[in-house]
Amino acid sequence: MYGSLSSNLQKVRAITARHSDVNIREFSIAGSSVGAAIIYADGLADKDMIDQHILKVLMNDVGEETITCSILTNKVLTVSQITITHEIEEIIRKVLTGQTALLVDGMSEMLIIGTMLSKSRSIEEPISEALVRGPRTGFNETLSDNTALLRRHGENASLSMIAMKVGKRASKDLIIAYMEDIADSDIVEEVKRRVSKIDIDNLPESGYVEQLIEDNFLSPFPQVQSTERPDRVIAALMEGRVAILLDGTPFALIVPVTFSMLLQSPEDYYERWMSGSLLRVLRFAAALISLLTPSLYISFISFHPGLIPTKLAVSIMATRVGVPFSSLVEALIMEIAIEILREAGLRLPKPIGPAMGIVGGLIIGEAAVQAGIVSPILVIVVAVTAISSFTIPQYSVGIALRMLRFIAMFCAAAFGLYGVILFFLMLCVHVVKLKSFGVPYASPAVPYRLNDWKDFILRMPLTMMKRRPKMLKTKDKVRKG
Amino acid sequence: MAYQAKDRITSIQTAVILANTMLGAGILTLPRTVAEKTGTPDGWISVIIGGFLAIAAGLIMVMLSKPFRGKTFYEYIGQITGKWLGSLISLIVVGYFCLIASFEIRVLAEVADFFLLEGTPSWAIIMVFMWVSLYLVTGGINAIARLFEIILPITIFVFVIVTFFGITLFDVDNLRPVLGQGVMPVLNGVKTTAITFTGFEAILIIIAFMHRPEKASKAVIVGTSIPLMIYIITVVMVIGSLSVDGVVTRTWPTLDLVRSVEIEGLIFERFESFLLVIWIMQIYSTFTMTYYAASLGLSQMSKRNLNGFLYGLLPVVFLMANIPKNLAGVFRMGDFIGNLSLYLFGAMPLLLLAISKLRGHKGEGISRK
Repeated sequence: MYGSLSSNLQKVRAITARHSDVNIREFSIAGSSVGAAIIYADGLADKDMIDQHILKVLMNDVGEETITCSILTNKVLTVSQITITHEIEEIIRKVLTGQTALLVDGMSEMLIIGTMLSKSRSIEEPISEALVRGPRTGFNETLSDNTALLRRHGENASLSMIAMKVGKRASKDLIIAYMEDIADSDIVEEVKRRVSKIDIDNLPESGYVEQLIEDNFLSPFPQVQSTERPDRVIAALMEGRVAILLDGTPFALIVPVTFSMLLQSPEDYYERWMSGSLLRVLRFAAALISLLTPSLYISFISFHPGLIPTKLAVSIMATRVGVPFSSLVEALIMEIAIEILREAGLRLPKPIGPAMGIVGGLIIGEAAVQAGIVSPILVIVVAVTAISSFTIPQYSVGIALRMLRFIAMFCAAAFGLYGVILFFLMLCVHVVKLKSFGVPYASPAVPYRLNDWKDFILRMPLTMMKRRPKMLKTKDKVRKG
Repeated sequence: MAYQAKDRITSIQTAVILANTMLGAGILTLPRTVAEKTGTPDGWISVIIGGFLAIAAGLIMVMLSKPFRGKTFYEYIGQITGKWLGSLISLIVVGYFCLIASFEIRVLAEVADFFLLEGTPSWAIIMVFMWVSLYLVTGGINAIARLFEIILPITIFVFVIVTFFGITLFDVDNLRPVLGQGVMPVLNGVKTTAITFTGFEAILIIIAFMHRPEKASKAVIVGTSIPLMIYIITVVMVIGSLSVDGVVTRTWPTLDLVRSVEIEGLIFERFESFLLVIWIMQIYSTFTMTYYAASLGLSQMSKRNLNGFLYGLLPVVFLMANIPKNLAGVFRMGDFIGNLSLYLFGAMPLLLLAISKLRGHKGEGISRK
């Protein structure tokens, strides 16, 4: 590479002919009047910074001395990040990320100056995980902001952040965060191994990472937790888990995950232990209700009316007299209707959503009963099911339970209560066989770990939770002295 | 690889597996079978004695397995009796486990047909059940242990609640007089009750998977005590509520008792659905464990992959379950299994232990410790 400015610029122009947003600005350096040029991308580079720290110093302040690379970096340019290169291709690559290239006539080195303009959304409360009590901060789309949030929440030298690049065509930064002296190094290595094996063009969202590193893609259950809350990530790190942050998305990933974790909310810890525990019990119960109620309805109505109290059975039968469908079809109609309503409510603009809920829920339900398509008891069952499923803090778990509910309904329609029991056993078998990064998904429930049960269905007082979860095999076992 | 050598279970899990394997069809029928034999209300004493006999037999098996750390019965039997006799015994044991498995699903089919699913063909009932079980056994002993750990607390919880509500019908006079006709009736019932505890022989297999086999004795004692308690409570409650004469005439006395309990004002006035739920779960666990033990035996004897046997044995067990023609035949099958178990796991381990001790002095098998 020789140092002629005009020939270099010619090459740059040849490449950037396809990049209309790349600008070239030629000027001469004060004093020696040597020709120079900067190359930057519109919108990506910080123009104020270019004007103040590059153009102004070079066009005004430089004296008569010969310009060399070391003088420029050491004495002239008042910018923190400068790299030197000899490759035109590299210049173009860097310019497209928002840096500015400086070419000087007669100088073989070319400087790349860090002038990235970071336009990020301000830090807001995450919409998908609203809390009554807890920090009102959520991640945003900028990786550096997110890592800064983590640092600020947990300023600790042990908090390690390993940077990796993922995506072949659109290369993105990804950070694996963990506590060096807590997290089990086997788990950390496993995460690194799986992330480094990701081989895909582009990762638009951390959901891609989640699907590419999970243990079993056939399972209905999420084996990676995603969250927008830095406090949640920090709490997980302190337990010995590992977090994965991807540039361009506010959703951080937490591994390994256990099933009970997905029914917990950070509020369980922020509120006092009694309310925290009770709400958690409520959520476990709600999960069971939302999973099994319609299938139990079907099995009791179609197969074993004798197993429910006679009066109840008689009154249900009386309301079903005019219903022309079997209980499975009846339940399917209502369940599918409510799933459609829910999906529609999600897509609609915010002001219309609630109105839609009223129209759908109340009017259609009432009309369906009046028309004799479904029985009023079923409307109650479906409503209870839907409301119960709203108590589940994780959206992805909610969806899993919704899918499984339909399978349970078909089992009930085929084999009644027997089918529901077998479905439940099947589900349990699946959960005990599942692992997330080497940790059994069903833990801490099984194998029995009495110590970990302090933070399972009940959330014991903080003074009693002295140790970190044993299932994670942490290096430092004591949480509280 | 015949089985996953890396799989290890804790001593708690061992106890849980034993308890789940022992709890099975007996919950529904034990009060009748024991009352038939004793003819007096003293059946519960027979249960206690039977339980202790089961513990003793279990402990003998632990002693038998002790010199062969990390090995199942199938692997070390050859070292005690010689290769050919050992293979024969192993085959009989495999057959025995298959027999229990098929007996359990047959009883399940009978009960499900009678109480839950009139008209559903029993092959359908049995087949879906076996598939769910197959899904579990392919996960190995660890998955089995974890699932049993989920099932056992549910069982105990529901059982306690059902018994608690059953107390309204309980009448102590039905249990009197204690030992009114002497000890003989009690002893007559012991054989029946001891048979109910079949399943403890699973220790011969699972001791090989234990992290710390030295704790096996404790696991046997704890694991047997849980079904012992449940069986005592069942017999006391059922005979105490229905009286001896009422019990012997009913095929499934425990279910009949729970059906007759009606608590006004609760959502569920009747509890038999709850009892059936935990009972089906217990049948499931017994079936799974015995089925796993049988497949593992074949796999270790032939030194071939376990998975092939897990799939291949299903039709065999299915056909065996269809052998009895009617309910009476099913109960005869149960009696036959019980007698077989008495010889196979009551008498034989003692004999084997003696031989092993004798040979041990010659220092052949035991030096491998």
